[in-house]
Amino acid sequence: MNIAFKLNGKKTSVTIPEDITLLTMLREHLNLTGTKQGCEIGECGACSVLLDGKLVNSCLVLAPQVEGREVVTIEGIRGLDGGPNDLQQNFIDHGAIQCGYCTPGMILASEALLSAHLKPSRSEIREALSGNLCRCTGYQQIVDAVEATAKSRNLQSEGQKNNG
Amino acid sequence: MDKKTKIVGEPSKRVDALEKVLGTARYIGDYKVPGMLYARVLRSSHPHSKIVSLDISKAEKVPGVRAVITCQDFVNNGCFGRFMNDQFILAYKKVRYAGEGIAAVAADTPEAAYQGILAIECILEPLPILSDMERALDPDAPQVGPDRVDGVHPNLVVHNIVHKGEPLELIQDCPVQLERKYHTPHQDHAYLETEGALAIPFSDGSLTIYSTDQSPFINQSILMQVLGLPQTKIRVIQPVIGGSFGGKNDLSYQTSAQVAALALKTGQPVRMTFSREESTIAGYMRDAMNMYVRIGADQDGTLRALSFLGILDSGAYASGSYLTTWRACIHATGAYRFDAAHVDLKSVYTNNGYSGAFRGYGNTEVCFAIEQAIDELADRLGIDPIEFRLKNCLKLGDTTPHGHTLKESVGLTECIEKVRALSDWDAKRKAFSKHNQTSSSLRKGLGVAIFFHGVSLGAEGVDNASSTIQVNGDYTISLSSGLTDYGQGSRTVYTLIAAEELGVNPDRIIMYRPDTDTSISSGPTVASRATVVGGNAARLAAQNLAKIINLAAADILHCRPDQLQRVGESFIGPDEEPVSWEMVIQHARQMGLILSNQSKWEAPQIDWNFETGQGIPYYAYHYGAQVAEVEVDLDTGKILVKDIWAAHDAGRVIFPQGAAGQLYGGIAQGIGYALMEEVIYDDGYLQNLNFNEYTIPTACDVPDIHGCFVETDNPIGPYGAKNIAEPAMVPTAPAVLNAVAHATGQRIYEIPASLEKVLLMRDLQRPAQHNLPNHKFLVTRQKILKVQ
Ligand code: FES
Ligand code: FES
Repeated sequence: MNIAFKLNGKKTSVTIPEDITLLTMLREHLNLTGTKQGCEIGECGACSVLLDGKLVNSCLVLAPQVEGREVVTIEGIRGLDGGPNDLQQNFIDHGAIQCGYCTPGMILASEALLSAHLKPSRSEIREALSGNLCRCTGYQQIVDAVEATAKSRNLQSEGQKNNG
Repeated sequence: MDKKTKIVGEPSKRVDALEKVLGTARYIGDYKVPGMLYARVLRSSHPHSKIVSLDISKAEKVPGVRAVITCQDFVNNGCFGRFMNDQFILAYKKVRYAGEGIAAVAADTPEAAYQGILAIECILEPLPILSDMERALDPDAPQVGPDRVDGVHPNLVVHNIVHKGEPLELIQDCPVQLERKYHTPHQDHAYLETEGALAIPFSDGSLTIYSTDQSPFINQSILMQVLGLPQTKIRVIQPVIGGSFGGKNDLSYQTSAQVAALALKTGQPVRMTFSREESTIAGYMRDAMNMYVRIGADQDGTLRALSFLGILDSGAYASGSYLTTWRACIHATGAYRFDAAHVDLKSVYTNNGYSGAFRGYGNTEVCFAIEQAIDELADRLGIDPIEFRLKNCLKLGDTTPHGHTLKESVGLTECIEKVRALSDWDAKRKAFSKHNQTSSSLRKGLGVAIFFHGVSLGAEGVDNASSTIQVNGDYTISLSSGLTDYGQGSRTVYTLIAAEELGVNPDRIIMYRPDTDTSISSGPTVASRATVVGGNAARLAAQNLAKIINLAAADILHCRPDQLQRVGESFIGPDEEPVSWEMVIQHARQMGLILSNQSKWEAPQIDWNFETGQGIPYYAYHYGAQVAEVEVDLDTGKILVKDIWAAHDAGRVIFPQGAAGQLYGGIAQGIGYALMEEVIYDDGYLQNLNFNEYTIPTACDVPDIHGCFVETDNPIGPYGAKNIAEPAMVPTAPAVLNAVAHATGQRIYEIPASLEKVLLMRDLQRPAQHNLPNHKFLVTRQKILKVQ
């Protein structure tokens, strides 16, 4: 079957078998391998993407369900210059990465949190990331990176308010 | 300590961070090459069986199937083993655990490979299952291990001892004695990336393999052995690895050999990657251990003697247990002085999957036992647990129970004092004890554990590493090491070391991942040896290259090399203008100097006598102490780890952000080990195959951790460095359990300390299932003959 949807800001249409998951479609049919597969049962969050701005495990979404909707994967998270955005840069700066396998999912989960919540506490950050497993980092530097991003985005938005 | 450094020990960033945050790093599952086939393995659905017949003819005719292989496609039936030759690339005559590979199929699509597996006809005749490690050495136990001619029980993997004096006699005379049994469970590495391998054949009969292996050179040598090919025909390249923690050895080598044989047979590239369930059931675990501890002390709190007996469940194969047993043995005394000590550990074969290396390598298991025993002894004596440890722990000049006199770099006392101060131990411990006397069902506890951990391999094997370095045409520098970075950050460590020695910006250095064609064999990346052994090799290579470059700089600046100074990357002589790095390199080339070097670093010889159980087991030790604060809800049994303080003597820290990350990650795994992780075998059948049944800590289960490093100078390590990856997790579980004991007044001698153990102080009976959970990956087409 053919499905059409918005992927990382671009109109996309692809022909796929109808019984595959969004994860399989992204990785195998669209060659977007930044979205990782860790468990295929919705437990690890390695396959996290944003669907209409909401965090989902793409291994639990059937590909046809995204028809007409908007999907953002790690490949769609970039700064203005095409490099890392502020959150990704904070992941680098705070050492929030070891093997990196959970990282794309963590970045998307963090973006989902930050778009909904401007001033999360550390425990709210932990709560928001609790669907994403990381076996390497012990989470601490990830929480640091998200906290730092929240702070700087807040300063920016307050700055804009004041200027406006 | 080494003189001042500019880069080593200063803030810096991982060299591989950018590709990882952008999602462009390529792991094995992300590799796709034209004409690539997909492979799949038929795995045993019974824990112990004779293979009566195996017929692949129907499978070969399935549409889309290109090749099917069995053990017969390998030299000597694919027999291999890193320490004992007891394993096969695919099962030969017998299967010894449920999940063992029997045959492999390569096909055009994953679906066709699956159909191929379904068409294999395999008949198994069940043998008695050995699932209780305590029974393994009974004369009538079912034989799981290979035949032996030396009269030793075939189910014995290895037996190791440490022996000093006669502890049992001494303990009997001690006014305070304790006798306890402890159990630690099998733990799954649970790296987020499962195993996999890709083999690409070339027309000259050679192969390139990409594999999730911890050591590409070991993979290469096993491939040479089982495929009967010379070294020149096999190139193993390391892709980005999604975590290992000791777990990506044997199964990754088997998988590599399977795809290699299929690629040779079909002439096409072949890739195999695993589902979570297949990774869990096929791969190996941390061994489970039963430990029997007897310990005696004087009334004044002086430790006198220790007897430590243990049995370690290695499962169907020896794998890393062969050495885990030895490391466990050496560390079972804890970081204490004893007048007499006897450690006696045996690892045995059973049909419970199989066990191998996992962070801590035996020390994690024994530390759980000894640190709880020490704590309970302190309770008995009415001495504060920290005071008791300070009184008895290893200090500079002490002799360990192995006979090793510690002449340098013993930061243990400092570590203990650090966590005591950081955690506000004295005040908190008192306040919690008082609180726990009230009727509140929310109890609070503070617990401590201390430990030591031998650096690198010690008597476990020949210990050397090599590095190559060269200046490229564009003035960048290429650096290689034979040791692997599977996420722990060693590529960054080597980059920083080389940048320090050459006086250049770390950005100038391109650090390669290991490739057997371009880097030099450096033994296994295990035992947290990457920093010390690999770091020394990288440092040596960089120093040798710097000497050559300095000749050129001295020539331009008309001075002796020892008069050179550096400003940024530039060189200056006694009285001239600075010259840039590029100009010096150009000049060196004009002088005809060859700007490359290859160096090997060899660890000092150690001296261990396996017969007497005495000697120098390691050339240096990491020391550390951790304090855990917990809250236990007596109504629900929930244990919450509220805080962890950790102080580690890791020698000089080279890459602080990376070392902190290793510390946090290790502690998180320790919390999982203490409270939730257990691979359950029911009569040899693994019960928890995915993250819904095998739970690991989430961001909510781990508190903010307060870590610090006590930097002593390890004269052997680069700049005085030791290790951190493994030691980080070793003391966490006993610290948590000691805190639970402080909170509840009850001790739990088995981990994980689950809800029911806390509430009822006993384990709930598990209903026997005797069945493999029905998971889609597992193809039970094998006919199993009726058990008589
Ligand atoms: S792969 Fe989707 S949640 Fe694990
Ligand atoms: S960095 Fe390895 S799983 Fe998170």
